[in-house]
Amino acid sequence: MCRCHVSTRRGFLKGAGACAVVSTLPMSMVELAFADSRRNFTFAYISDSHIQQIKGTQFVRNWDRGLIRAVAETNLLDPKPDFVVFGGDLAQLGKKEEIDHGAAMLAKLDYKYHCVMGEHDYYLDLGEYWSKLFGPHYYSWDHKGVHFVTLNSILTYEDWTHKRWPTAMQRMVEMAGLDNPNGSPFMVGEAQCDWLRKDLENVPKDTPIVLFSHSPIQKIYKGWNFWTEDAEQVQALLQPFDNVTVVYGHVHQIQYNQIGNISFHAVMATAWPWPYPQSYAQAESHLPKLTVPMNRADPFFERDATGWQLIDLDTGRVAMRYNLYNNTNRAVAFNPKTGQPEDTVFQAPQSRIDAQIHY
Amino acid sequence: MSKKTTGAVFGGLLLAVLLGGVANLADEPAPKDLERWQGEFMSVVKAGRELWVSPELGSNGVACAQCHPNAANTHPETYPKFQQQLGRVVALRDMINWCLRNPLEGQPLALDDPKMVAIEAYVSYERRGVPMAPGKH
Amino acid sequence: MMKRHPNTLLLAAWIACAAAASTGTLPGAPVPLGLPPADYPADNPQTPEKIALGQKLFEDKRFSSTGEVSCATCHAVEKAFTDSPLSVSEGIHKLTGTRNAPTVVNSAYFEKLFWDGRSPSLEDQALHPFVNPVEMGLDDHQPILDIVRADPDYARQFRTVFAKSGAAVTMQEVTQAIAAFERTQIAGDSPFDRWYFGGDAGALTEAQKRGFDLFVNQGRCVSCHVVEQTQAIFTDNRFHNVGVGINNIQEDVPGLAAEFLKAEATLSEVDVKVLTDKRTSELGRFAISRGLDDLGSFKTPTLRNVALTAPYMHDGSLKTLREVMEHYNHGGVTREGDPVNDFLSGGIRPLNLTEAQIDDLVAFMEALTSSQYAHSTPPAGSK
Repeated sequence: MCRCHVSTRRGFLKGAGACAVVSTLPMSMVELAFADSRRNFTFAYISDSHIQQIKGTQFVRNWDRGLIRAVAETNLLDPKPDFVVFGGDLAQLGKKEEIDHGAAMLAKLDYKYHCVMGEHDYYLDLGEYWSKLFGPHYYSWDHKGVHFVTLNSILTYEDWTHKRWPTAMQRMVEMAGLDNPNGSPFMVGEAQCDWLRKDLENVPKDTPIVLFSHSPIQKIYKGWNFWTEDAEQVQALLQPFDNVTVVYGHVHQIQYNQIGNISFHAVMATAWPWPYPQSYAQAESHLPKLTVPMNRADPFFERDATGWQLIDLDTGRVAMRYNLYNNTNRAVAFNPKTGQPEDTVFQAPQSRIDAQIHY
Repeated sequence: MSKKTTGAVFGGLLLAVLLGGVANLADEPAPKDLERWQGEFMSVVKAGRELWVSPELGSNGVACAQCHPNAANTHPETYPKFQQQLGRVVALRDMINWCLRNPLEGQPLALDDPKMVAIEAYVSYERRGVPMAPGKH
Repeated sequence: MMKRHPNTLLLAAWIACAAAASTGTLPGAPVPLGLPPADYPADNPQTPEKIALGQKLFEDKRFSSTGEVSCATCHAVEKAFTDSPLSVSEGIHKLTGTRNAPTVVNSAYFEKLFWDGRSPSLEDQALHPFVNPVEMGLDDHQPILDIVRADPDYARQFRTVFAKSGAAVTMQEVTQAIAAFERTQIAGDSPFDRWYFGGDAGALTEAQKRGFDLFVNQGRCVSCHVVEQTQAIFTDNRFHNVGVGINNIQEDVPGLAAEFLKAEATLSEVDVKVLTDKRTSELGRFAISRGLDDLGSFKTPTLRNVALTAPYMHDGSLKTLREVMEHYNHGGVTREGDPVNDFLSGGIRPLNLTEAQIDDLVAFMEALTSSQYAHSTPPAGSK
């Protein structure tokens, strides 16, 4: 299950001592490790729970169990993470009942947690109730020498948001359909770009930056909104910094990429996995070339290709350990020699296993 | 050729032309038929798409499209194949019924239900052009 | 194809006797209906003499500290190789452990042995009960070796089978012989096999046929209790948390799990701890693998002959097949409405089966009894 021995040979995944614990973890854990080991710390990442109400107090059991399990497992982590991030799409249709039900599960976390806005949380009431529970839609904070930023990157054109749909629920349902031709592309928008520019003004260029976003801050596949319309603008604001990592949700699959100084890492959903865009035979898409696809060992196993992540930050760069339930765990780490994130075991084409190619 | 035969041949040709033009032999569909039939097919594909995104197919509000946007990752070209979850070699519609029963927590459709045909039509249409690979796991 | 050879007659006679003594399937015999061929390891080929030696070792009570417990004590041939109706087994001095004795029948098809899969082979599995304090209670394997090396009958058999004697006879030979005997205990040819693979439309009752349909569809049983197109071993050789046992220790799981994650326990230490501490036992395969997705997971047993092997589950806590069905029908809790444990396996959810449907499923499971056990009466109260 734990591939530590291989990664140690490759040498660029530090912190192998934590691996015995890491390999047992089904969530995204992020560890930031520096040359000065006193500043090393970890954080966990849970995302995309999509709590879905059926009726009254009845919710879709499958999604409930995914989040419950991720929370329970995070609580078993040793050493303890400094905090947890929830990556967005707590609810499926943004209803108060769904947000409350999800929040009750997150409340069982033994740690402080920060939340990222997802489109499924936002488009019913434009994040009003969400804010009451989780705070501002975008914000930044510093922790042990790292500058963290959270953006609300699932906004879209004003017209679509305010004028197109007769009811709020209609708007939410339209945005909820991933492949809905009536959807509208995600964006960060001018206001947040201005805010981000000012926020970064006084951050030294050698401070590691980790940015949390729901949409990819890249342009991967527009048909499924694996897309941020103003990605280049946001990337331009981040490029001047030496070490930047963007961690994003929404795609429900392993993805990773390197654009200039910025590493990009997607996180798994606790609810369900999504197909890779290239599995849609009728449209072209641009999955980051680096990505070794996630393992789909057994699509009929309800927790297949769901899970969470352990993130290592080594000299300010992310190494992400994915725990895939009943599946071979994966670790994607920044390789300082090649200057890009790589899977610590499966990056070379001849190393692929069936679970990554057979679906 | 005798005059009688020539006349018969000429008369036959005239008859053929009068009956329907050069391209319209008895067992060959006309272009407008093909177009119409394609439209009939697409109407069922459209019905399948509506079922695909409908929260009403199962009992818990989950729609097929939630996990299979544009019917991706359904692999219709690999059926029939052995499915561990059913313990035997099954056809696409048996797997559709598995999904209806399990992630959608609903009732299976009859194998000859028009809804089932519509769903299969939509799934296959979104996968058009991919070579057949029956049995592929 | 048998050659015309003087030994053929002897072999035939021996087979007849051996068949009478044990109900095993001997090398060269056709695979029973409904089963795939079993895997025989290259380094431990089956021979009639080895099998007979293995059976003798299996039944020998001298390999316990009190001289009263053998493998057959908990795996009795007349009880389909279990100690039904005991929930958990009784070793020396009637000391109890925490786990229910699984049947040896069809264990040849398991890829890992024990409920938590800590043994990679039948040979390895055989080593452990001898030295477990609540099973045979020996301090180490030396007393066994002393006996098999010195006893004239054993010495002759080990010489014949392994061409070894004296100090060259080790636990490897002992466990190989035991494993060889265990591998003969394969049994198919149940009413289900005759109906599903043998084309005998009348082999099942209507209730049993309905039960099979539920087994594959609404009941979802086939997801783990595997039935395939041409054979059925009724196990996926995987580990799942179905909410038995762990539900009672939900509060303790974080503390217990943390202990295991920190400790560098060896396999033997785990072997002792899981049988002597009930709360640890409920961690299941997690105690072996330390994988969080193994928390509370136990191996899927085969359902063949299940009507004879009550009570059920790793702790024998479900007494009848009906109780088992009710546990699954409630979605992984024994009493309806009890809290579901956080680590429950993904596929377990309420099944919405009616009473009649549960009856049909139980009837189906009763059709999985192999013909050679057909005469056995299920233990009292097993329905």
